[in-house]
Amino acid sequence: MSADTPSTPSVLLPPTLWRLFGAWLLIGCQSFGGGAATLALINRSLVEKLGWVSEEEFARDWAICQVTPGINLLAFTVRLGGRIGGICGSAAAGVVLSLLGLLLPSVAITIGITSAYTRIAASPAVQSALRAVIPATVGLGLLTAWTMARPLLKTSRQEGKASTVFTLAILAGAGIAFFVFQPPVLVVLILGGVLGMVFSVIRAQRREPEGEQTP
Amino acid sequence: MNSLEFFLLVLRASLLSTSGTGNLPALRSDLVAARGWTTDHQIAEALAIGQVSPGPSGLWVVSLGYLTDGMRGALLAVVAICLPPLLVIPLGRIYARTKHHPAVEGFVRGLGTAVVGVFAVVMLNLLGKVGVNVRTVLIALIALGLGASRRVPILVILALAAAFGILVR
Repeated sequence: MSADTPSTPSVLLPPTLWRLFGAWLLIGCQSFGGGAATLALINRSLVEKLGWVSEEEFARDWAICQVTPGINLLAFTVRLGGRIGGICGSAAAGVVLSLLGLLLPSVAITIGITSAYTRIAASPAVQSALRAVIPATVGLGLLTAWTMARPLLKTSRQEGKASTVFTLAILAGAGIAFFVFQPPVLVVLILGGVLGMVFSVIRAQRREPEGEQTP
Repeated sequence: MNSLEFFLLVLRASLLSTSGTGNLPALRSDLVAARGWTTDHQIAEALAIGQVSPGPSGLWVVSLGYLTDGMRGALLAVVAICLPPLLVIPLGRIYARTKHHPAVEGFVRGLGTAVVGVFAVVMLNLLGKVGVNVRTVLIALIALGLGASRRVPILVILALAAAFGILVR
């Protein structure tokens, strides 16, 4: 399976499980900027500095992580960690140590902030602050929604009018249906998935003439 | 509240999302609306903390876990969000063999699109909980604008909001 054969790291420092953990720990300690910044950190560390991953593998793996369940960054960590761990003798250990390294700092800090917050939450000053922070969070949340929608719309626009209309329909439809009928969230999501699947399959069959189906 | 059930709910919500906050609508519906183990207020708090703390955006669930069930809830949340990404191992192998998978890609895209629509509605509902008035809408819009400019760090935006909340009653 050429897709899974790792490239031989041309490397100053051969990977070991502990070095792998250390590399991810370093990444985890610097990951203040969110997904994109962390991705850049991973590239700089594992691809450029250590040479344990090639650029092609990096790009290919990231693409796969977009279409698998769960947080993309974590799936990416699993994939890279598993492969490098495999070179060191244990893919499973690679996965665990990579996730641990990445998450230990940020999880600890998150819990710390939350814990500190619970201690001061009752004070009237904090309550007043929250009355403004929560609307601000909502504003940022809507910005996040827009950031998530943009690549979806861009891709669908490149695919053509039908695709664009379809994407907008699902976007608006999901929101409106959820607001009006208040169905279980998972129902709306799966419905969106199924409709997307049907649309995608129909599109693919329209582009491939009958006699040239991929065997 | 039931820790095991909490874990399974976070797991289920995270299985059908590919981003850090894609599990928000399902979790809100399961934890707040259906069971009352968490309040909308706590969800908002956890989101704010998640926006401020480092690391992947999905850690807001860890904060929520802590608010709901202390250290145990926080750690269960961490494990719950780490499990779905493990599916990339078998799926990666399947994708390597199939050349053309419009069905899978279409499903994921459709689901991802639906998530955005629902997520936006949940956000607006959250605003409704604090009260929709000129002040809150203005704050939301300003925060959105500052965030969109990409020049102002999120931490600064929230700090400004906090200061505004304290100083301007």
